[in-house]
Amino acid sequence: MVRSLILLTALLVSITRGSNANWDSHSAHIMPPKKWSVGIFHPIRYGIKEGLELSSYPGWFFVLPNASFKVPLSDFKSFNTATRVSFVYPTPLLNMLSREGIGGMIDPSLTIPPMLGISGSLLMSKELLGVNTTIKSGFDFGLVFGDLDARSNIDLPIIYHRLEVFHNGWGLHTGVDLDRALIRKFRIFMDLDLKLIPDLGTNSKTNNYSMREGDYSIEHKLLLVWERSSTFRAMIGYKLVSGQYPYGKQTRLLPYIPLLERWVPLIELQWLR
Amino acid sequence: MKNFLLLTLLLIGNGCEPFVVEFPDLSTPKKFEAANVDSNSKTYQGGGIKVLTWNMRFGVGRFSFFGDSCGEDVVADEQTITQTMEAIAETLTVIDPDIVLLQEVDLGSKRTGYWNQIQYLLDNTLLNYGVYASVWEADFIPTDGIGRVNMGNAILSKYEIGSSERIQLRLRTDQSDLIQYFYLRRNILKSEIPELASSSQKKFYAVNIHATAFATDDTKEKHVAKYLEILDSIHSDGHVFVSGGDLNAVPPGASIDYCMNDICEGESYHVDGIDPFHKEGSFFDNFIGEPDILAPLYQLYDPAIAEDFINLPEHYTHAPSTSMLGEGTIRKYDRKIDYLFTNLEWDDMSGHTHQACWELSDHMPISATLSNLTED
Repeated sequence: MVRSLILLTALLVSITRGSNANWDSHSAHIMPPKKWSVGIFHPIRYGIKEGLELSSYPGWFFVLPNASFKVPLSDFKSFNTATRVSFVYPTPLLNMLSREGIGGMIDPSLTIPPMLGISGSLLMSKELLGVNTTIKSGFDFGLVFGDLDARSNIDLPIIYHRLEVFHNGWGLHTGVDLDRALIRKFRIFMDLDLKLIPDLGTNSKTNNYSMREGDYSIEHKLLLVWERSSTFRAMIGYKLVSGQYPYGKQTRLLPYIPLLERWVPLIELQWLR
Repeated sequence: MKNFLLLTLLLIGNGCEPFVVEFPDLSTPKKFEAANVDSNSKTYQGGGIKVLTWNMRFGVGRFSFFGDSCGEDVVADEQTITQTMEAIAETLTVIDPDIVLLQEVDLGSKRTGYWNQIQYLLDNTLLNYGVYASVWEADFIPTDGIGRVNMGNAILSKYEIGSSERIQLRLRTDQSDLIQYFYLRRNILKSEIPELASSSQKKFYAVNIHATAFATDDTKEKHVAKYLEILDSIHSDGHVFVSGGDLNAVPPGASIDYCMNDICEGESYHVDGIDPFHKEGSFFDNFIGEPDILAPLYQLYDPAIAEDFINLPEHYTHAPSTSMLGEGTIRKYDRKIDYLFTNLEWDDMSGHTHQACWELSDHMPISATLSNLTED
């Protein structure tokens, strides 16, 4: 009886820990070996072996090759810690978007050279006052193998500051994720991320032509999470992006449908196996 | 917690601003002021009032822009914009107009490096005040790499600008809803200039228009009719005006077909069975009466360039930037589509088409001087 209780308790703890930890791709927790999860907007994550997680956006892979690896580090003051290194090769996608007509987001006369984006992050996770908390910080590097024209960018929220890393050569990111149980199968998730592009804009010859202004971006997401089972969950919420751009400051609530001129809720579905 | 919720709601409210700006029939334009207002020039001291109109092609000069020539480029480089804007400011300083009617001015558009061209011109000329009415304002145009755009009409003046109105012109009806959503919203910009009023009963207005260029329906007819309605209203109320702009219409008696002048490589016009038969914006007989659409303006008001001279080559104001006479020879101008009118009288022979400016835009500025207002 005692053995059964211990086994049951161990199993429950394992499920609880596994459930909370594995769902959150941004936390310091590593996906167990042979386990995977995928979402509409989230990457596919796969536990390659103990202590090594691979994640990637497979739908984008052929036009935006990308991969991210996460490995655990030694715990630090009761925080679970991990490091994540991400690689992205945006050149094929950007050259597809450098086109004439509808869908052209970059001047078609411009060619994007080979570029490699590398990001390194330190993740620290811990439960604080019943809230699963993850703190993250790191560097972004944009390696460009050729001439990248200053006009090669897309002046849209989320995208602009990610591409500016390639013009600036480097950037910083930091943020916090909070996740806590509400009632029954409902949880709430909130994150706040800051992206910094130091020294951006100093290359402009005049104060008037400001293709390279906009050195920060703040992104915030709030999601109500319904954990239907240990293998499926649905989320609804919003993403808010506020930042400095070459044309000034702008705040935009996403997803936003231009033709309808209205915000629509962000809906995300995720599966875990 | 309450503060957090309030802040979040405020941010969410800000975050829902329209992606593409649409305008009511009447709205208030944005106002600007030079960083250093010249106090000596802001008071009318008597004498003539020089007025200038110029479609300045958003300061890109003869840049090979895809939208209005056979060009393939979209975002101008820093050197092109800087040199052209400096030259435009210098030209305005040399001509020294009191009132400037500008069309196609950019205000934070990606294609021109996000310049605030109005503020730049105010800060680098003898002009002190400005108003601006957007024609095309969107967070992002998802075609051809245009991105963020804000282009419009502006009135710049040495004298303080009073109440102003942005008057919406009818949208084109020959476009799909999707194209129309991202397309231009043309307008007339009307501003009162109190310093130039001869009395409180007789106001002085500057009226600026940029009428449709590419419509193949009756939009141009509606735009010119609205323009006439506004000028007639000012005149019948006993007020005075100087007015003009890019009417995208040729004067009475002018040639009406420029398709073969404007043709780009790979295009075919005037061929039976090939649609369109005429190139959009290059043919001026799309509806009954279009060739004479400007005749009422000439009948009712005083033109800067007298009717006898309007079809002379020295008063042509426009040719697309890639219109070619031959291999390596650019056609600088081949038609008149820009105008200045008043219900007062221009000084004799003061009307001038500044064709020396052909490198600074695909339109030439026109200037003329009003007789001494104090004698009115």
